[in-house]
Amino acid sequence: MALRVWASSTANALRISSASKARLSPAFSLSRCFSTVLDGLKYASSHEWVKHEGAVATIGITDHAQDHLGEVVFVELPEPGGKVSQGGSFGAVESVKATSDVNSPISGEVVEVNSKLTGSPGLINSSPYEEGWMIKVKPSSPSELESLLGPKEYTKFCEEEDAAH
Amino acid sequence: MVLVASHFLISMPACPPRKHSNKPYRSHSRTPSSKLNQLSLSNERPRACECFDLYKDLVPYGEAWSWQKRIVMDKKASIEKNQDCPDTLIILQHHPVYTLGTGSSEEYLNFDIKNAPYDVYRTERGGEVTYHGPGQLVMYPIINLRNHRMDLHWYLRALEEVVIRVLSSTFSIEASRLDGFTGVWVGDKKVAAIAIRVSQWVTYHGLALNVTTDLTPFHSIVPCGIRNRQVGSIKGLLGEFQPSTGCEIHDRQLIDITHASLIEEFSDVFQLAIHYKTIPMLDFAETTPTQNLLVTRKDLLVTRKDRVFFDPLFLLIIFLHYTYLDFII
Repeated sequence: MALRVWASSTANALRISSASKARLSPAFSLSRCFSTVLDGLKYASSHEWVKHEGAVATIGITDHAQDHLGEVVFVELPEPGGKVSQGGSFGAVESVKATSDVNSPISGEVVEVNSKLTGSPGLINSSPYEEGWMIKVKPSSPSELESLLGPKEYTKFCEEEDAAH
Repeated sequence: MVLVASHFLISMPACPPRKHSNKPYRSHSRTPSSKLNQLSLSNERPRACECFDLYKDLVPYGEAWSWQKRIVMDKKASIEKNQDCPDTLIILQHHPVYTLGTGSSEEYLNFDIKNAPYDVYRTERGGEVTYHGPGQLVMYPIINLRNHRMDLHWYLRALEEVVIRVLSSTFSIEASRLDGFTGVWVGDKKVAAIAIRVSQWVTYHGLALNVTTDLTPFHSIVPCGIRNRQVGSIKGLLGEFQPSTGCEIHDRQLIDITHASLIEEFSDVFQLAIHYKTIPMLDFAETTPTQNLLVTRKDLLVTRKDRVFFDPLFLLIIFLHYTYLDFII
């Protein structure tokens, strides 16, 4: 879970080669709550991440979010072809008898959903930034990415949110 | 016609001695403390919570569900505009109905869903199948967790705490949590089921406490997907623990007592000041759920009790107004 990512990120920080294939390097290997925040991603204050690569953006929920949720037992995803809007809900994750909305950080058209999550919702816990991705979107307004948080801002946001509650 | 009955206090029969605690909820979960900070006792005035109190009414599930969603939308709109809004609590009973959560499995239904004994609704809450019906008090807190704790685990534990305190302070029944099984248990009997939906930190759905519920409909399902455990009710437990002493409480009194205790403990646990509100009729109009959310529908006789016209206290006041009081004024 978070420990595996932490170990890998610590190895990176110490310049020790990792057996795993090259991954996005974490900006901060240790946050106050042991959640990982990765470089190269943008973040929403509702704890979703977005990775923009060319024409397609991949979206999921952050390590901080999955850690607070606990074991995810069910994931509700939209149909490909549907539209999402920035800040609007596109699906839900269920854990501990509580189902929570997941919101899209950007607007666009859903081009692909991660069907593996139907049978393995726990991928969101074990690999929130990689195998636990939720939807891929063709952004309709790439400038929306500018309004999102970078890794440092998001980490600070999480710390402040945790401290306040 | 505005429902005014809810403004009048209902006199309570004598209850067993109350060991009421006026404390907010401090979580003692084993979740890492960085995630569950202790709630400090606040000296600030409690936040306001508007309460729509329909605890004597059997409200069609579809209506209550639509109503909740409208309230959630309103709150989210206020939050978007950075406007404060009070929390909301709805308390009511339902006609017999089964409800499923987003990921609920139909394997926990012991009947063909196309030939169900009661309406079946697939909702957006968490959890598996459950039953709602007369004699069961249902609470739908629609609260902004940003004003409490942005922690779903804390919220679920707090809802459990409300019921645990009710059972302890009002009935001297020792109830507990069961790790991994959200809800409130007395021994191996679940007396209260809890499941919620959260949208941008605004909660809805909530808890259902069996008071005088006929538990037979639970036999047609695997309640909450938990096999090998039972469902209980306050009435059943009181009957077990205190066989007839010749001084029995009637079902209606039991509902009254439990209702009063639920409101009080909810107010304490969440540190909310309860303000009773009347229900605008527009908010209560029946809407037919879309076909894919209502799995089956039975033609139920809708027994919408109009408390205004049949509440004896209201009739008395009207009578006095037009006769005695007018005369002396």
